[in-house]
Amino acid sequence: MKLFVSTPPHIRAHEDTRSIMLDVIIALLPTTAAGIYFFGYRAAIVIAVSMLTAVLSEWIWQKLAKQTVRIGDLSALVTGLILGLNLPPTAPWWLACIGSVIAIILVKQLFGGIGHNFMNPAMAARGVLIVSWPALMTAYTLPAVFPGVDAVASATILGDGGFTANYMDMFIGNIPGSIGEVSKAAILIGLVYMLLRRVVSWRIPVIFVGVFALLSLIFGNDPLTAVLSGGVLFGAVFMATDYTTSPMTRLGQSIYAAGCGLMVALIRNFGVYPEGVTFAILLMNIVTPLIDKYLNPRLYGAKKGAKKNV
Amino acid sequence: MHSSGEGKKQTKDVPIRAFVSDTVAIPMSMHIGAPSKPCVNKGDLVKRGQVIGEPVGPLGLPVHASISGEVVSVEERLLFGASPTMTVTIKNDFADEWVEGIKGLGNVETIDPSLVVDAVKNAGICGMGGAAFPTHVKLTVGEGKSCDTIIINGAECETYLTSDYRLMVEKPRRVVDGLRAVMRALNVYKGIIAIEDNKPKAISAMREAARGRDGVEVRVLRTKYPQGGEKQLIKALTGREVPSGKLPLDVHTIVINAATSAAIADAIIDGLPLTERITTVTGCVNAPANLQVRIGTMFEDIISACEGYSEEPGKIIAGGGMTGPCSPDDTMPITKGGGGIVVLGVKDAKSAPESPCIRCARCVQVCPMGLDPFKIKNFCDKGDLKGAQKNSVMECIMCGCCSYICPARRQLTAAFKEAKADIMQEARRQKQ
Repeated sequence: MKLFVSTPPHIRAHEDTRSIMLDVIIALLPTTAAGIYFFGYRAAIVIAVSMLTAVLSEWIWQKLAKQTVRIGDLSALVTGLILGLNLPPTAPWWLACIGSVIAIILVKQLFGGIGHNFMNPAMAARGVLIVSWPALMTAYTLPAVFPGVDAVASATILGDGGFTANYMDMFIGNIPGSIGEVSKAAILIGLVYMLLRRVVSWRIPVIFVGVFALLSLIFGNDPLTAVLSGGVLFGAVFMATDYTTSPMTRLGQSIYAAGCGLMVALIRNFGVYPEGVTFAILLMNIVTPLIDKYLNPRLYGAKKGAKKNV
Repeated sequence: MHSSGEGKKQTKDVPIRAFVSDTVAIPMSMHIGAPSKPCVNKGDLVKRGQVIGEPVGPLGLPVHASISGEVVSVEERLLFGASPTMTVTIKNDFADEWVEGIKGLGNVETIDPSLVVDAVKNAGICGMGGAAFPTHVKLTVGEGKSCDTIIINGAECETYLTSDYRLMVEKPRRVVDGLRAVMRALNVYKGIIAIEDNKPKAISAMREAARGRDGVEVRVLRTKYPQGGEKQLIKALTGREVPSGKLPLDVHTIVINAATSAAIADAIIDGLPLTERITTVTGCVNAPANLQVRIGTMFEDIISACEGYSEEPGKIIAGGGMTGPCSPDDTMPITKGGGGIVVLGVKDAKSAPESPCIRCARCVQVCPMGLDPFKIKNFCDKGDLKGAQKNSVMECIMCGCCSYICPARRQLTAAFKEAKADIMQEARRQKQ
């Protein structure tokens, strides 16, 4: 009889890295579909190029570096998809390519691959693109299905283009913006799916958006318009919740999420950028190791007030 | 964390049945402490309950013949993998005759309480939940210590196992009697029988048996592994936390497994030494069961008694799926702490390769001790024992939750076990 011998536990949960990534992809499908519906085939091309480049970059890097090829864990596919959804539908194909290469090679692989990047790859890539090609990155068009309006370059609601929309259009996604961020309804469907599958907890998205809405009110804006415009909801649901770049403890996650909400409100109200989600999340990504260093879970049996070694 | 109902369906409604084998191999080291010294020779005829191993050292326990028959060998055998163990092998004459002089002390409510601890020791009782710590030592309240609560652990949060559950359903009075004997021996007025809420039959049976018994209450716990871990149980029931490096007695509690409590009752009421136990046999066997077997019964005989393997076995676990060690083959005997035998098929036996941590924080959230498992594992991987120690690896209770939940399939618990052993070895070396 040939038996396996190993240290317990001998049973494992069903979820693994791949299944979690697959769940994220499924959660992103509604907003992907909504983006393609509103912006047409150009959006589909941007997303496809972005995903393909991301996976290819990872595969080439791991081959060249003689590492285990891990594209099967689907994390590169998620990064490519999220980056694509973060681009305007008018983005040229090469912009999506450059973005994905930055995300996978510069932000993820150079720092050690999955789990080791200190910033969310797609978010960091978007940040680089915003700074490098500001015009291309904000060349938002009106949705293709927008009645009676030609798809022309326009500013978002957040810019000074004088564009206005009602709450329903903003909620459904019938507004200009990045491909994946316009349909709040689709994003919320994705969130519900991830919550049901326990891929993410409510903590980061709810606190992020809650703090942001509250601060918007304090700064004299309409909180509903503030939340429904730009990438706040997409960022809070799909980007701030990134495992690798958010804190490990519940309290840490709450502080991180509140920080994200605060930074978006500050940038939108006092910064030079009309949108602030990208830099807000990147900043809090960088704060994450600090939060993890000082906020440890309470050790069982520890004396009151005693601190763990850090 | 998963509910601890996992894997129990196969056996939870299967009544306890007795099984006696042709031979038994009784190891002299079934408890924590020095192995007992064999006091019989090859060719001796022994009766059930006869002492065949004498206690050695402060944690020593006597070992008893679990069947009557002829001693066929007294020698070191490779029963637990690599380390040879002194073992007495007995061939059954099926007379099942008890040794002379077996005499109970009587009703647990009226006996002389000072006799209890000695009776427990002489019966060879150790923790039957798996830890196998000598029970009489646990019941010895040292100078300056005090105990106000005895907890009977009927949580049975381990996956697959149902032996304690069946015991509580079928013999609830014995469990209460054992608790009362201990309460009287230590002059304690509060006894709690703790059961998880996924075992309603056991709860009602135990409540019925506990009715009218002084100071005994049944408390229902949420089903959540590792609810039955000693430290978690004490916290859930009393709100007290056992400080680092201390024992339950330091927070005035003693925790006793349900099967151990029943064994104590057998020893007090009937004067019977520990010669048998209930064990759950499940997984890839044709007739999963809760068997009442004699100590020293071989796994292969037990599996035959359950109509054999239902598919090619890939792994045999001595205990439950979360904490039970692997058996290298099926020629291993049931020991006093052996609550179950779980057979996994080849497919389930293989462990997936480790992949990088994705910092999902699941391990941090499930750790019942409040550790940062991912961080400690990183130190272990680098061979940095000091770093692991600084991050409290020594507090790890080996429940397996972090490894279970890890989507990257990292072997966290295994790494911590190794680190703990290395750290202790280093500490011993420095002491010398």
